[in-house]
Amino acid sequence: MKEKEIIEYMQRELGSDVLDVSTPRERRVFINIRSEALRRAVEALKRKYSALRFITISTVDGGLNFEFLHHFHVDGVVVTLRSVKPKEENVLESITDIVPAANFIEREIADLFGVKVMNHPKMRNLILTEDWAEDKRPLRKPLKGILPPQARRAAESLISMGCVAPVSRFIERKREAAGLPKTPPFAFTDKEDMKEMHGIIKETSLSEKVGFDWEKKRLRYR
Amino acid sequence: MVKYALFLGCQIPMRIPSVEIASRRVFERIGLETVDLKGYSCCPEPIISRLLDKTGQLAVSARNLALAEELGLDIMTLCNGCYETLLEANETLKHESEEMLQINKILENYGKKYRGLIKVKHVVEVLYEDIGVKKIRECVIKPLKIRVAMHYGCHLYRDLSGDIMRKPEMMKKLTSLTGVEIVDYGLERLCCGYPSMQVDEEFSLTHRLLPKIEKMIEAGAEAVVLTCPACTIQFETGQVLLKERGIQYDLPCINIVELLALSFGFSSRDLHLELHRGGILRLIKKVEGN
Repeated sequence: MKEKEIIEYMQRELGSDVLDVSTPRERRVFINIRSEALRRAVEALKRKYSALRFITISTVDGGLNFEFLHHFHVDGVVVTLRSVKPKEENVLESITDIVPAANFIEREIADLFGVKVMNHPKMRNLILTEDWAEDKRPLRKPLKGILPPQARRAAESLISMGCVAPVSRFIERKREAAGLPKTPPFAFTDKEDMKEMHGIIKETSLSEKVGFDWEKKRLRYR
Repeated sequence: MVKYALFLGCQIPMRIPSVEIASRRVFERIGLETVDLKGYSCCPEPIISRLLDKTGQLAVSARNLALAEELGLDIMTLCNGCYETLLEANETLKHESEEMLQINKILENYGKKYRGLIKVKHVVEVLYEDIGVKKIRECVIKPLKIRVAMHYGCHLYRDLSGDIMRKPEMMKKLTSLTGVEIVDYGLERLCCGYPSMQVDEEFSLTHRLLPKIEKMIEAGAEAVVLTCPACTIQFETGQVLLKERGIQYDLPCINIVELLALSFGFSSRDLHLELHRGGILRLIKKVEGN
């Protein structure tokens, strides 16, 4: 079966850079890869399949991330390389030097989404006028996650502190006046407990779905 | 002696600590021993976590349940939301072995294990079933001469037995022990609107909170008795937001445990009831007569 052969080959070539694969129907293959491995994946396909035909690149603005779908035709099978990039990075590696036919669609993506296509041989506007405003790209959405504004603070606090209602100085004083500790024995009052709590959350997809930035300890959007 | 692991949650200790203060006073008076859960976290908040990632929600809940298991104690919650989240997580994990395996695989990396050994109970159940009406009635030394409306909160209707009125009935009976007159207003089951505040403030305030308050006032209520901190926040801040829309109401909110504490003779000053918003001072004046 051609689909199986393609998948096994790509898994051998890319190793752990292949995140998962699916064949929803006959002659259709999706390969999810790490975005850093995009060019290597295209090179691997080109090396192995002399009749490789580039179809196009679809771009989906998911609010927090760009999803890039590079579609190829390989001996009767449509193969899609799916990679995801955080919108804050705002870049896509060009594959035009490997597959020249990608030239125009990469320019179109740059035009319509405002994505910087790295190492493109001749980047200039394709559809939009040259004086088109950088910050007004027709298909680009604002950086925005799934949560409505009212829920964002609570979600941020839930993940960063393990508590949806951070204590204020006023409440701390009132608690002490009533003979209570400044805060109850929350996980955030102990470094080890907090480490454990964060570790557990990181092993689920909660923070990813919410759009939490672990380095900055806040949501990627407000 | 009755003994529980006390799950304080987030909103009560951080936003309405008068409920925690009253709870500790009441528990001591009635002989209910509690142990704080060291290192606990949010239950977690169900609207965000349950809708977005069930595994994440179960893992955080299971960690909290495991902390109580380590103490060998059942959990008692003061908050309706924490109650439902922990109760449902406990039931799911106890009865769905695949979920339990998956969650324990995560917890075991951090030296924790959920075993499914404990129960989750709401403070209303503990007061009614474990302490009992007789004991509580004995502690009431200052019957309260006020008229109140009950708001049980949606999550209090969740019950493993399927009898949705089991805990609301308990709450009503406990409230009546304090000497108050309970007025029926016909919209007891209507949600206060707290969850819908996340997406539609206008709907939440004018289609959920406002009809309740109007009916409570019409029925002659001088205060609303609650047990859920989220509902309390909705009633208190909701009335402030309604004022901005030209709708003037100032119905005070009081938690059932605070009401019990007042009837046990604790002063509003000792309980720091001033931490409530709205017409609480008017209510205190009526109750304490100064």
